[in-house]
Amino acid sequence: MRLNDLGHLLQVMGTFLGLSLFSLGGGNTLLTEYHHLSVDEYCWLRPSQFADIYALAEAAPGPSSMIVGLLGMGAGWPEGPGWALLSAYGAEAAILLPSTLLMVVACLSWNRLRDSPWRVAFERGLGPITLGILFAVGVKILQTADTNAGGVVVSLLVCLLMLRTRISPLWFMAVAGGLGAFGLINR
Amino acid sequence: MTEPPAPPATPPGLGDLFRGMLMVALSAFGGGLSAWSQRIIVEQRHWMSNEEFLTGLTVARLFPGPNQINMAVYVGTFFRGLPGAVAALAGMLLVPFTLLMLVGLLYFQFHALPAIDRVLAGVVAAAAGMALSMGFKILDQYWKDPVALLLAAVTFVLMAFFHVRLVPLVLVAGPLAMVWYWPRPSHSQGPEREPR
Repeated sequence: MRLNDLGHLLQVMGTFLGLSLFSLGGGNTLLTEYHHLSVDEYCWLRPSQFADIYALAEAAPGPSSMIVGLLGMGAGWPEGPGWALLSAYGAEAAILLPSTLLMVVACLSWNRLRDSPWRVAFERGLGPITLGILFAVGVKILQTADTNAGGVVVSLLVCLLMLRTRISPLWFMAVAGGLGAFGLINR
Repeated sequence: MTEPPAPPATPPGLGDLFRGMLMVALSAFGGGLSAWSQRIIVEQRHWMSNEEFLTGLTVARLFPGPNQINMAVYVGTFFRGLPGAVAALAGMLLVPFTLLMLVGLLYFQFHALPAIDRVLAGVVAAAAGMALSMGFKILDQYWKDPVALLLAAVTFVLMAFFHVRLVPLVLVAGPLAMVWYWPRPSHSQGPEREPR
């Protein structure tokens, strides 16, 4: 039984190790992939749980890539809270390890990299692709989170306010949470 | 004191890096992480010049991985190589990650309660709006480059409508885009065009 759990943990970690170097544009480009793996492929989470976890990671202080810890926790939850925590720390370590190692190498060789044509082509070529991915991520999260018109209206309003004002997003989440509590936003 | 501060005689050790980044993480509760790391690393502790810090931000944004985490790795590597990177990373993540894991345990235990679920239904709608705004936030810088907009549009359509997965997409589209944007002395495009 324990051996099975360990195999599961290693599978979770292997999945995130492989994704680490594809976290372009600050890491949010991986969100559709996280959704696909945790909801469709491995069934760690239901779609509504994925949306919840995304919101928790956004609301919490600290880098939003910590959502991977919550995904790992969801993967390990059936085996109990202890395994869930182990799986959470393992998943977060796995997503950070390869990109951290690459970053160390990049820092140590930056003086040579800075004027290299590879650096210029990478930066300018991957930028537009990142842009396209981020729009796909936004649409995917919207589809997962909102199952009715009320939710969509709130999401579009928050999107507009995020772009036009400098109000802290925590306020939007607090107000929307209040609207939800009074039954004005359902799912 | 109008003189810029001299760099410290002894660079920060592993413990200093850990404590410095922990300080950044604690100060930044509620947001503004990169502003806080600049204040603490450059202005308070004088570990780096502002220029060195800004170079770090450039590298952190360019390479894969979360920007703030990459920034911690840069600061750690700058002084102590790989061990420094690990110390800085641990300082940056320890408190926020542990807090989030506590919230996560509570979530998985109690999310089925109707009251919790109703609040989350609202919070999730707001968070989805934040996700949608990410693309629009960086759209401006590509507005004058039709090829970039085309690349972005094709990427979006492939992912959103044809459900192409991220890894094969980046592995095919990335090199093609790099070939197009390979710097050529006679043919420069985009915002980096030299003024005559």
